[in-house]
Amino acid sequence: MNIDFHFLQDTFFLALGGVPVTLEITLGSLLFAIPTGFFMAVANLNEIPVLQPLFRTYISFMRGTPMILQIYLIYNLMPSLLNAVSQLLGLSLNIFEVNPILYAFAVFALSETAVLAEVFRSALQTVEKGQFEAAVSIGFSSMQAYRRIVVPQALSAALPVMCNTTTDLIKATSLVFTMSVLDITAIAKTEAGMKLCWIEAYLDIFLIYLLLIITVEQLFKFAECKVRIYKEV
Amino acid sequence: METIHFVKIFTYIPELLPFLFVTMEYVILSMFFGSVLGFILALAKLGRNKIWKSLANVYTTILRCTPSIVLLFLLFYSIPVFIKSIFDLDIGSSETMVVVVITFSLFLGASLSEIMRSSYEAIEQGQYEAAMSIGFTTIQALRRIVLPQAFYVALPNIGNTILYLMKEGALAFTIGLVDLMGKGYQINSETLGGYVLEVYIALAIIYWTISIGVERIFKKLEISYGLGSQCVKVSSKINENEKMEGTV
Repeated sequence: MNIDFHFLQDTFFLALGGVPVTLEITLGSLLFAIPTGFFMAVANLNEIPVLQPLFRTYISFMRGTPMILQIYLIYNLMPSLLNAVSQLLGLSLNIFEVNPILYAFAVFALSETAVLAEVFRSALQTVEKGQFEAAVSIGFSSMQAYRRIVVPQALSAALPVMCNTTTDLIKATSLVFTMSVLDITAIAKTEAGMKLCWIEAYLDIFLIYLLLIITVEQLFKFAECKVRIYKEV
Repeated sequence: METIHFVKIFTYIPELLPFLFVTMEYVILSMFFGSVLGFILALAKLGRNKIWKSLANVYTTILRCTPSIVLLFLLFYSIPVFIKSIFDLDIGSSETMVVVVITFSLFLGASLSEIMRSSYEAIEQGQYEAAMSIGFTTIQALRRIVLPQAFYVALPNIGNTILYLMKEGALAFTIGLVDLMGKGYQINSETLGGYVLEVYIALAIIYWTISIGVERIFKKLEISYGLGSQCVKVSSKINENEKMEGTV
């Protein structure tokens, strides 16, 4: 087995250029998914009619189908949908000029919403009802009670799980090359295609993801220490 | 907007369904080999030898940080090279099914070892000690007292692992395996992408149905399996609540 170390080194630094794209998609999806996921979790816990069965079906679908299938579905559905909307609004939007990263945002934001809705639901359930009632009884509005009492406590239960879902999200973004977005995987694959060094290219991708995810895990550990103060011992 | 041919969706479902067996084949095989690997790793993690312990932990961390598609391709390209350099045997290209099973066995080894370790640790030491005190041997105590309870704790996680495997396995088509997803991909190239959406919707329906089915089965298993083991805990909790209410 002979590995081309020169190629390995060159491609490593080239593929590092894809890290911002990966992080962009991850952060963008999280920014959308955290509020909507939280809203879904609260709606599910409070058993709001119409919304609850709707959200449940959505969550079950997103959790029950493979990521790659969701990508293909949205990647094939969104352009014609966007086109129809832009025609309806009289916009002159050229569908072929839309940056594919937009579709990536859509796919990962939608699936992460479903994942986080479940995470938040179980995290909120770890907070006793008495906490909320006590807050209301001393004159907090339910909004205040959620923001100051319930959410900080739920956060300490949610963060470790969120660390897992975020790393899963980062790993799943390696599939965006199917949508012709140039991320870590896509860059390394293109390089490998030119020089036929497949093993080296995948070793590079492997190393970059390893470093990236270990860093993210350390950040989450730091955040967990910060929110632990809300947890009574 | 182009219209979706709903009739086509239902003609594609029976065409795709036979390939469910291919999907099931790698799910079952990977679960089997993954459990064996996971068991060995869990033993290393629970054991006293520090070197084995840290090796097992490093293995788990690395596998947890790897996207499945990367390992899939890495093995797909490196197995033939590997075999050639060791056995001097030219196998041309890899057998895709073997690559898929090896890949997911490696992943499952990592996740199942964590599940086994945590569910073993969830059982109180007192259970084991009590079994020893009434004259069980170590193996008897493990087999009859500790492991059945640990299995109950692990059940929901095992269900999740199977679902994870089924969903991640959909990536196997990228190296050319014709499973459910692979067949869908094949149909798309045969029809020159004429009914892409219909095929994917049909696939989504199949995967979704199976996921819901597996979830239901595991919930039922949990209820039926938990009858004996949880009884004590639940009743003691009720007693505690009653006591608390009494004092209030």
